[in-house]
Amino acid sequence: MHLTSGAKASKSTPSATMRASIKPCTTPRGVPVISPNPTDLPMMFARSAVSKTLRMLAFAGACTVLVCHADEYTDVSQLLRANKFPEAMAKAESYLATKPADPQMRFLKGVIQRNLGKQAEAITTFTKLTEDYPELPEPYNNLAVLYAGQGQYDKARVALEMAIRTNPSYATAHENIGDVYARLASQAYNKALQLDSGNVAVPPKLALIRELFKPNLANPRPTTTAPVSTAASAAASSPAPTITAPTSKPASAPTAAPVKSVTPAASTSAPASKPAPVEGDAVKAAEAAVQAWAQAWSDKDMTAYLGAYSPDFDTPGKQPRSAWEKDRTDRIVGKSHISVKLSELSTKVSGDEATVKFRQAYKADSLSVSSRKTLLLKKHANQWLIVRESTGN
Amino acid sequence: MTRSLQFGLTFWLCALCLTLGTGNALAKSPKKKTKRATPVMTSPAPKDGVAEARLIEIYRLIGQSDTQAALQKSEQLVKDFPTFALAQLVHGDLLMARTRPLQSFGDVPPEQLKDGSGMLKELKSESQLRLKALRERPPAGSVPAEFLQLSPRNKHAIAVDASRARLYLFENRNNGLALVADYYISVGKLGLEKKAEGDQRTPLGVYFITSQLDPKTLKDFYGSGALPINYPNVLDLKRGKTGGGIWLHGTPPGQFSRPPLASDGCVVVANPDLEHIIRTVEIRSTPVLIAQNLNWVAPHSLQPPTHEFTAHLNAWLKAKSSGSMTELARFYAPDFNNSGKTLADWLPTLRQEVAAAQGRPLEIKDLSLLHWKDTADTMVVTFGEVAAGQRTGATKRQYWSRQGNQWKIFYEGVIG
Repeated sequence: MHLTSGAKASKSTPSATMRASIKPCTTPRGVPVISPNPTDLPMMFARSAVSKTLRMLAFAGACTVLVCHADEYTDVSQLLRANKFPEAMAKAESYLATKPADPQMRFLKGVIQRNLGKQAEAITTFTKLTEDYPELPEPYNNLAVLYAGQGQYDKARVALEMAIRTNPSYATAHENIGDVYARLASQAYNKALQLDSGNVAVPPKLALIRELFKPNLANPRPTTTAPVSTAASAAASSPAPTITAPTSKPASAPTAAPVKSVTPAASTSAPASKPAPVEGDAVKAAEAAVQAWAQAWSDKDMTAYLGAYSPDFDTPGKQPRSAWEKDRTDRIVGKSHISVKLSELSTKVSGDEATVKFRQAYKADSLSVSSRKTLLLKKHANQWLIVRESTGN
Repeated sequence: MTRSLQFGLTFWLCALCLTLGTGNALAKSPKKKTKRATPVMTSPAPKDGVAEARLIEIYRLIGQSDTQAALQKSEQLVKDFPTFALAQLVHGDLLMARTRPLQSFGDVPPEQLKDGSGMLKELKSESQLRLKALRERPPAGSVPAEFLQLSPRNKHAIAVDASRARLYLFENRNNGLALVADYYISVGKLGLEKKAEGDQRTPLGVYFITSQLDPKTLKDFYGSGALPINYPNVLDLKRGKTGGGIWLHGTPPGQFSRPPLASDGCVVVANPDLEHIIRTVEIRSTPVLIAQNLNWVAPHSLQPPTHEFTAHLNAWLKAKSSGSMTELARFYAPDFNNSGKTLADWLPTLRQEVAAAQGRPLEIKDLSLLHWKDTADTMVVTFGEVAAGQRTGATKRQYWSRQGNQWKIFYEGVIG
């Protein structure tokens, strides 16, 4: 976020002077001649429908207010609105014959040229206006519309950036809204990638969240309304900055920088506790038991293979242990060659129970099957033994 | 800014927008159209297909460079379907495009992406497959060739086209099969052609829904319910395939849809879509065809009476009616198998049936023919076998296999 500097706004900008000069009946801060609605400026994207989405600034705002010496402008504007372009042009030309520098009429002339299909001439008119009155945003905007209509998006972009720069407030608001959009985008991406899905049990996702919000977690800032200049740096990394409205000060006070306070969103993501060394050993031991089981199977070593199963082993289909052992022996000893390789092991230990999940690449004679398997092991007299075997997750 | 939206967004969308721009793709199914621009939050369970239709509408707006309207709609969509990750991604892109030029679809900044890249890839793939299914619509009125003939008892039929991650739901009307809805689906993590238990693949073939599981008895993971199918079917068993528990089921609470390759072999459907299927189809009589690619044909090109298989079926019926066991036995394959019963075990059953008919000619009622071709040519035949003068008879299912220019029965049994 960027804060508006109060200094620039304090002095009467050329733009304001300009407007005053062309609207003598209104106060200097009165109704602008050309609608400077800032929303017209940054929201311009189009390809085929350029004219639809890129808005040309054309008319003299609220014309009803301009009653005194603005008759000429009103007339031209009304002719323009009535699509009487040659008549409008004639009137504008005759006015400019006496006051060739008049920016408002030159501006209207550019609009008329564009409506007459004279794009090149309109570009010239608006370009000259930007040279003579670089502080006016509207000619830049209309230049951008013309360039975009010709597919010259680079030039259109530069012109729009210039338009935004004519007023430091626009530029700041523009940058600020960019930051807000970026923050919102980041939130949407988090949801898309389920980085904040509330599934706090998944460590990698947690790690990501921590990484993202680290500056705040490391150095949480108390909520404050005092003018803290460093708050701005925190804002950049805060997930949900709360911005209090800038304290309203007269624009003439250059020292009165608007104040922003930032409340870092309380992040609940506690650091994942690292497994205690003892648990790490248990994981190693359980995985070693599983690897030994796979090796025994590959070796067709039935004693070791069956020995890997606990006496409490939950046999498939609740068959008697003896029937299951016979079935396994028939199946294993009958093969001429078996290879069981495990990969992607993931192990969770809780007390004297361990759950080991892995991918099992089983090859026997001509058969080759890769599948997911989960083994539940229990510690019996310091030995990890299989109590349940299931495929899938 | 202009440029960023110009080239950024249109870059990732141009292919789809040009095609979808015609508006035909979705117009077909009235279900998919949302009349409401902003659905009311208090509305009951969302209708099937709505979330996707709204996503595609956003794509279309982006294609028309109307990113402001697109952003408004994406904001509403993620509000209504906060767990629809793909919608969140598109919403993120639309917001991000306001700050910098986008390089690609799902332009998540690298510092944010980290190990989310696998997921991003899956979302891109989900997006592409949804669009592929919507671009490459089945020709109007066409049906999968596998549904050679459906009986009036098959009130609905389901066909899954894995290459488009799509499930098509048909209603069997008097004038033929009508496509009534189609949905994005996910299949096994390791793809298709299930062979063995735990291989995390989805089977290919013709199946039937065997039951319906109450979501209350299931883990949240399965969402709004499950419809198990009869994998492994007779053909699968003959081929030595193992495993089971292949279901059509819903999605977990935190995921509106799952990546294209996500399950342990099941077919996963978004909950609103699954709910519509569950409300619509009948258990046991609804065939579920799962194919890599569906072969869409005009219904009139399927002429079951003139199909060469029909002559074999009729000849079998004639042989059975005649009561000649020698004649009848010729139709059965040497590797015939009914739950372990060999042909020799089965012939006495046949003999009894023939004797029970007491010479009355047999008729076939409510015939359905599901034609499955892979390395073999298989016909799954279901019908009521009724003796003349009787009003009802047993419902039979047979699996026939082409052997040269002959068709032989390798399974026969009574169902239902």
